[in-house]
Amino acid sequence: MGIIDRARVYSPWLYHLHCGGCNGCDIETLAALAPRFDAERFGIQLVASPRHADILVTTGCVPKQFIPMVKRVYEQVPEPKVVVAIGGCACGGSLFYEEEPENYAILGSPDLMIPVDVYVPGCAPKPEQIINGIVQGILKLAAKGSSRKRREV
Amino acid sequence: MSIPAKILKQVLSRYSSPMTLKYPSGVDPSKKYSQIPEGLRGVPERDAEKCVGCRACFMVCSGRATRIIDLGDKRTISIFLFRCTYCAHCQESCPEEALKMTSKFEFTIGEREDKGAYVDTDLEMLRCKSCNTAFLPKKMEKRVFERLQEKMNPLVKEVVLSDYKKLEGYCPECRRARSTNFDTHTKKWLWLEVK
Amino acid sequence: MADPVITTIEIILIIPVALILGVLFLFLFRKLNARFQWRVGPVIRMYSDLAPLIGKTRIWQPLYDILKLFGKDTIITDVAHRRLFMYSPYFSLLFAIAAAFFIPFPGMELLSSVPYSLVIASYLIISSILFTILGPVASGSPWGAIGARREVELFLVSELSFVLSIFSIALSSGTLVISEIADRGWSAPSILLSLTSGLLLFVAMLGKLHIKPFDMPEAEAEIVAGPYTEYSGKLLGIYFLSKTFLTYVLVALFIALILPPVSTSIFWLPAWAVAATALVFLLTVVQVLNPRYRINNALYWYVKVVIPVGLVSFIIAFFIRVVV
Repeated sequence: MGIIDRARVYSPWLYHLHCGGCNGCDIETLAALAPRFDAERFGIQLVASPRHADILVTTGCVPKQFIPMVKRVYEQVPEPKVVVAIGGCACGGSLFYEEEPENYAILGSPDLMIPVDVYVPGCAPKPEQIINGIVQGILKLAAKGSSRKRREV
Repeated sequence: MSIPAKILKQVLSRYSSPMTLKYPSGVDPSKKYSQIPEGLRGVPERDAEKCVGCRACFMVCSGRATRIIDLGDKRTISIFLFRCTYCAHCQESCPEEALKMTSKFEFTIGEREDKGAYVDTDLEMLRCKSCNTAFLPKKMEKRVFERLQEKMNPLVKEVVLSDYKKLEGYCPECRRARSTNFDTHTKKWLWLEVK
Repeated sequence: MADPVITTIEIILIIPVALILGVLFLFLFRKLNARFQWRVGPVIRMYSDLAPLIGKTRIWQPLYDILKLFGKDTIITDVAHRRLFMYSPYFSLLFAIAAAFFIPFPGMELLSSVPYSLVIASYLIISSILFTILGPVASGSPWGAIGARREVELFLVSELSFVLSIFSIALSSGTLVISEIADRGWSAPSILLSLTSGLLLFVAMLGKLHIKPFDMPEAEAEIVAGPYTEYSGKLLGIYFLSKTFLTYVLVALFIALILPPVSTSIFWLPAWAVAATALVFLLTVVQVLNPRYRINNALYWYVKVVIPVGLVSFIIAFFIRVVV
């Protein structure tokens, strides 16, 4: 394993995308980054811009008005990237998603529009479970290999 | 101890050791997690021996996580964990106490179709004697019969059992269609009142 | 001036030394920051059962961050001024490395004995920071523009503090050559001068390295990531690399100017290490104790503190120059 491939495993940066939902999973996600579980021990950092991120963490089910934003944020994350869906809403739509009759406002889970690599179900998942999910994401990231393309947006 | 000294001691104790847990490192499994509070609701678990396939969990599931899939001789009761909110309504409503919320929470799934995302139980179905459609899990039929015997008024027991023997093995539609052909004691409940 | 061959070897040698020290300072900064928040921070010895999976140590964490960015896609926006957007990170890095050549390290005199080396070094530091402003302006992003504007305002006031500090020291020792300043003797008024101009230089470092009360240019979540919002992949990695070098440069400059004769001889290396650690520790204390200022508060604060202290500093320097 080359040094750059190893560095990618050592410093995954998260971008937290809140799509909709009740905010419970967001609180748990932040708890996973807070001193009690301290993700910075393993180099995991929360970044403010999707351009810097390796792992896109989505929480909540996607309202229909939010679909373009989800797609856009996904496109802004440079390759190699991994999407981790956190919580029941982001995994399967949970209480808000109806197949028949269709909900007038909510489309469902983000995996209907972007490829999701790791699912972390739970309502809400414990911080340990979120860390576990992010670790699975890191392992998938390691398998993807580096990309050094130049992309124009 | 004076108040400044107390504050100083507090501060020093905080700084001397970080409050971070070792979490993903599991050298000492007993200290692996922060705390698993008593009654933590995690992944539901179904006892396949006890489950009779009565659909009670399906009726109460508010997240529509529980699904009943009837395929010929097989009824599958499955909980789709992606949609489950761990509300434990199914545990409360289960008449056989087959469902139980465990405290297991540390699991992640790579794909939607992964087996880990479902809590499945397969049940064998009973086929109707005349029309040959599957209509009831065999286990449920057996269990209903047992319960009937337990709770029945001894006065009418004999009559009801003889009626049951005649109806056994027919689906509800066939029973309705043939209700006149069966020689059952339709007025047995009235007897009870008279006596 | 020293032998050109030795100077060339020293120049080649200082690049890895500066990189390693910069990475170590940033690691120390993060680690102390974490410990002040009651957490562990990047671990020095990884838990034994996780070590095969995620590495034995995280002392090089800032370096891993940079290396990782080199293995990622680089996104260039359509609205950006392409050439400026792409080359300003490289220029920033170039000037930061060049600044390291003019600052003495214990046992390495480098180019610090050339005439006017203090002026050259301060100009190189200024240019490096200037290119961290120019790139974001060229990115065409509103967040980058807001961040760059804040950076310019902060840069102006922190530069005031920086210049007052270094030139009061230069005035007191009567020279603009860093190696001579770093070798000056001690006297009672010069201790006082070291205190006042050291305070000024420290305050300037806070502004230049974006330490907490003055981190409004890259205010996270408030203006996305400030100047670096549009940068990704290799270009962002080069910006972080230039920041690593700049950290080393400022720490080394502080020690060279304020604590003579620590950076003159190789025997002072332990003292240099202690002083650098103490300086990073002080920066961390300031970082963890302070909230983020608004930009106008920061300007007022700088003007309110810097001008009186700068005047006192100049008076002391003048006193040393004329009387002593």
